[in-house]
Amino acid sequence: MPLGIIFKRALRDIRQNLVTHVMTTIVVALTCLVFIFFSVFSLNLQRIADHFGKELAIVVYLKKDMPQDKIPSLYQKIVGMDGIESVRFVSSEEAFKRLEKYFKDEKEVLEGVDPLFLPPSFEIQIDRAVYNPGRVRSIAQKFADWPEVQKVQYGKEWVDRLESFSKAVKAAVVASAVLLLVMAAFVVSNTIKLTVYARQDEIEIMRLVGATNGFIQGPFLLASFLQGVSGSLAAIVAGLFCYEYVLNIITQTELIKSLNLQFLPPLYMLTIVLVSGIFCVAGTAMALRRFLTL
Amino acid sequence: MLSGDQSVIELREVQKKYAPDIVALEEADLTISKGEFVFLTGPSGAGKSTLLRMLYKAEEPTGGSIIIDGVDLSSLSKSQIPQLRRKVGVIFQDFKLLFNKTVFENVALSLEVLGLKKNQLSSRVRQVVEGVGLSDKLHRKVVQLSGGEQQRVAIARAVVNRPPIILADEPTGNLDRKRTTEVVALMEELNARGATILFATHDENLFTDTHRRVLRLKDGKIEEL
Repeated sequence: MPLGIIFKRALRDIRQNLVTHVMTTIVVALTCLVFIFFSVFSLNLQRIADHFGKELAIVVYLKKDMPQDKIPSLYQKIVGMDGIESVRFVSSEEAFKRLEKYFKDEKEVLEGVDPLFLPPSFEIQIDRAVYNPGRVRSIAQKFADWPEVQKVQYGKEWVDRLESFSKAVKAAVVASAVLLLVMAAFVVSNTIKLTVYARQDEIEIMRLVGATNGFIQGPFLLASFLQGVSGSLAAIVAGLFCYEYVLNIITQTELIKSLNLQFLPPLYMLTIVLVSGIFCVAGTAMALRRFLTL
Repeated sequence: MLSGDQSVIELREVQKKYAPDIVALEEADLTISKGEFVFLTGPSGAGKSTLLRMLYKAEEPTGGSIIIDGVDLSSLSKSQIPQLRRKVGVIFQDFKLLFNKTVFENVALSLEVLGLKKNQLSSRVRQVVEGVGLSDKLHRKVVQLSGGEQQRVAIARAVVNRPPIILADEPTGNLDRKRTTEVVALMEELNARGATILFATHDENLFTDTHRRVLRLKDGKIEEL
């Protein structure tokens, strides 16, 4: 069956039932818009988490009685590890100087204190390109297992909270994606079902004059694909407008500006459009299977 | 017109029963040769429509076998049924037309399902519509036509793809005498061009003076008259 004929018939069907098709497309668009909202929120939350997470450093405190000659080899060992961006050694003396600086006007507090009482440490920055909260934890755990290490600090609670929140939002996005796409497919398949009901006589006649299932189903499937695609495209355009509008309001502060918030990447948008179209076709195919028996 | 013994419609001990105990056909045997024009008669409810429906596989027999143009219908898969229906043109008593579409659109449907484009099918549709005497109403909606004209549209749709077999199910059931004569004449013309025709009717006037073969369906059996 030439695609041109199916395309023509699909367009004719849409023209003849324009109101129904437009209403369905709007429902698909609204459904996709909710999903796009969740996606943009999740994506930017991840960006924010990354932005702040990258500022976190791991501080590895060494045992005070550790021989000084072991420090270069430890340094080399850390630098050679995967996912490490930079390493800085802080001696006991330097740590004490920082403490003095911190107390500034109340230096007398430190009078009589041994300048070597603070342990030497390594301040380690994680590679930004491979940063994620789970990775920070696993690297910190490796340091903690070394015999020369007294203690490891890395803002554990902050990283953990960030990670669990980020996971929750991701799960919400996935759940909403499945739920909303199923809903869109359901709405589209029901519209098509109503159209099939309305045109049962025509379908029966087509069957009697020798139409194949492909000839009968093709225009319905194509119409639902067009609804899925046009609905999701409309949702992307509307979502982009809403995003720009909200961005204009909230980027008054320097902090928000520095976060460099973004809309969905092009590949993500393309996926939404295709998946929406495919789900609508799948829903319609299932609805038609029950109606169109020879 | 008879053009030899090559059978195009064959029924072998065909049975059709409906639950609980209604017998529409009981061990019916029938052979119709290529190019024959056969009347099938019997009172209303005798099973004429059921028999025709089984010939284009809208219904399945409960026993026996039906062979159309050498093909046993029980061997056909669902995807092969459209091929059978393209070989068998059916004219229905209730016309089965799309009333909100034009004469052209209704007739063209039989060619559209074959995948023909508008420019390919246009001349064929015009020719057939002219043949049934409706060329001046080509772009009228079917709902605007009289019963006789609607029946002629149904005939045009059934024959436009030149099927070798035409099944007519009470095609004159809703028509007056004049229109009935026109339809029968049209069917005879199609037969003269080579189509095998099985014409179901309960109107005995149509075949009393004819030389055509007449079959009667009675108590589930097919009898030759």
